[in-house]
Amino acid sequence: MARIKFENVKKTFGKVYALDGISFEIHDNEFFVLFGPAGAGKTTILNCVAGILIPDEGTISFNDQLMNLVDPARRNVAMVFENYALYPNMTVYDNMASPLRSKLYKTDENTIKEKVNGAAKMMKMENLLERLPSQLSNGQKQRVAMGRALVRDPNVFLMDEPLAHLDAKLRNAMRTELKEMQASLGSTCIYVTHDFMEAMALGDRIAIINKGKIIQVGSGDEIYYMPTNEFVASLMGEPQINIIPSTIKAEGNKYDLCFDVLGKEISMEMPVDEKVMAKIDELDLRCADIGIRPQHIQYSFEKIEGYFKATVYSYESIGNKSVIIADCGDYQIRMIAPNGLRVQIDSDIYISPEVEKSIVFDSGSKKYIVRYDEETVKAFATKQEVR
Amino acid sequence: MAGLTLEHLFKRYDNSGKKKKTVNDYAVNDLNLKCEQGEFVAFLGPSGCGKTTTLRMIAGLEEITHGNIYIDDCLINNLQPKDRKIGLAFEDYAMYPPLDVYGNVAFNLRAKGVDKAEIDRRVREIAPLMQIEDLLEKMPVKLSGGQKQRVNIARAIIREPEILLMDEPLSHLDGKSRQAMRIEIKRLINKIKCTTVYVTHDQLEAMSLADRIAIINFGVLQQFGTPTEVYDDPANEFVASFIGEPPMNILETKIIKRNGVFFFSFENSNLEITVPQRYYSVIHDGFSCKVGVRPMDVMIGGEDSKGTSEQIATFENLGDERRIGIHVGNDLLMLITEDEKRYKSGDIIKLEVRGEKTHLFDIATGARIREKP
Repeated sequence: MARIKFENVKKTFGKVYALDGISFEIHDNEFFVLFGPAGAGKTTILNCVAGILIPDEGTISFNDQLMNLVDPARRNVAMVFENYALYPNMTVYDNMASPLRSKLYKTDENTIKEKVNGAAKMMKMENLLERLPSQLSNGQKQRVAMGRALVRDPNVFLMDEPLAHLDAKLRNAMRTELKEMQASLGSTCIYVTHDFMEAMALGDRIAIINKGKIIQVGSGDEIYYMPTNEFVASLMGEPQINIIPSTIKAEGNKYDLCFDVLGKEISMEMPVDEKVMAKIDELDLRCADIGIRPQHIQYSFEKIEGYFKATVYSYESIGNKSVIIADCGDYQIRMIAPNGLRVQIDSDIYISPEVEKSIVFDSGSKKYIVRYDEETVKAFATKQEVR
Repeated sequence: MAGLTLEHLFKRYDNSGKKKKTVNDYAVNDLNLKCEQGEFVAFLGPSGCGKTTTLRMIAGLEEITHGNIYIDDCLINNLQPKDRKIGLAFEDYAMYPPLDVYGNVAFNLRAKGVDKAEIDRRVREIAPLMQIEDLLEKMPVKLSGGQKQRVNIARAIIREPEILLMDEPLSHLDGKSRQAMRIEIKRLINKIKCTTVYVTHDQLEAMSLADRIAIINFGVLQQFGTPTEVYDDPANEFVASFIGEPPMNILETKIIKRNGVFFFSFENSNLEITVPQRYYSVIHDGFSCKVGVRPMDVMIGGEDSKGTSEQIATFENLGDERRIGIHVGNDLLMLITEDEKRYKSGDIIKLEVRGEKTHLFDIATGARIREKP
């Protein structure tokens, strides 16, 4: 159990800033997810917590105790790697017992047995204890790697993309399993991933990392509904959010949203939302990027009053639903459709975005300005589940 | 453009010194398949199921143990690979590093001795199709994975093949570029209308690209049908669990009869699902089988719901949707909801399962148990 605090941590590799002034605080017993694209610096943060890397600048503390120069072994962290790193010549039991047989954590065999059996039960692999790693499937190997971390009572669990090597089906199943045992971990956990579903499903809070910087920290709902910029918005959600570059024309109490579709200017009256309108007036906003999630786009293949015309670019099934992509000239609009439609590529489609569910971004800086129903969403997104 | 027919196709790799032969020795086991002219067919299955072996036999890179392969009505078993009028695009790009993109795309035609002006015309014709016009002067090392795959496919289609064969062309790409490339391939095939066989282990790729999908396991064809058919009407438990994400819930059940009505009941669970009438002719009280239901056909009931009360084991908020897991005996029953309500594990919900959407499978063989027509 530990609170972990990073203050202005910097780390360079040669001339490259892997971490460029990272600050955050992880609460006791929190499941904290580091999420971002490849090369963002997620694993570097994890390695700094573990003590495998020492930061160039800034401080790392556990429970207000400075950790920068403490040996990795003395930090009492347990790490689970992407590639499992099991001892191939040892049985599952011995692999899981190995940390407790090390010099530092030397424990008597009876206690080891108790701990290993406890962890094995939690990971549902009591019947695998006598096997060698070569006799296990990838999912089972990953469970052993986690079980090995569980036998100790570490300050913090560090998990580096533990599910990344598994195929999609197994990854989903393991994610659900991990979620199920989360409550019983009873320790702080830092989890690195580049899969937004894992981040959303597992994290009490998520930190979005990009190019060595923290872009946003918040609950899954906060990040999904109130992303701090278009980059974050595009990371969360599959298919990704639509961004429609628009201009806003204000006339008295009427606000028109204008955007270009296949060379034609479309104008729609913006639904009234006090906060959105106030923000537009305050900033004298004339250019904005409107972010609308694919499930909030209405469409039809017949002409409907108030819908604008675009061209079908693609139609494809993504499992339980399908995605239609419409070509609008300089940008595309993605929308959710049922499976099994007969859709001709390059045919006409009529579209109506639900602007009353949109997010308004600054078209220059790409930063979040305001969203519809902000108050409701905020109340709902920040209401934290305390475990 | 041409049709492709596989007739009683077998493949056995003869590894000398291997144990005595069993049926499982066949990497491809009695495969019969007919791809129509201009059709996009996906071979889908787990690794080692024989899909690539089949593709290689079609290409002529692998000897055929038994059976025949026809392009239109022409038997091609004994034709040289180069005479089969086939275009190939593999997972790894295998480009010639000292040649630029133009040289790579033109290579096949140059080898055949096609004259320069004609080569140039065809390269210029294909480049915009694959969106590689700006890349023609670049060397392969300078290209991203997605660009390399574009060049690779351009190289396959410049030969104007009768049949285009693709073996996991997207598996080297990361999630985002894979998605983009999938759409590009679909648009390309739609444009050139070439008969295509596409090998993949990713059900999503198969579902989104193919006109028809051949699902293969252990060298045996499990089902051959349109994406909608294999999704809504799976031939057996393997197909049902392989297609769809998250996969279909498949639970062992015992059917009980109460007041003339049949219910699916489950060991160590109070969950009960009404058996649809259409199955009444094939079941009886105490009948054991497996029942499959897709996560989107399981729903949370309102307050006046007649469904059973169940405790939530896992709740996953994925932003666009939420997934809930419920223990049914030792299994986890998953459901998907777009409802905005947030639950936590331990909450009690009313569970409603759309009985009419259930499929029955034999416990031992996994074969579909169908109602009598």
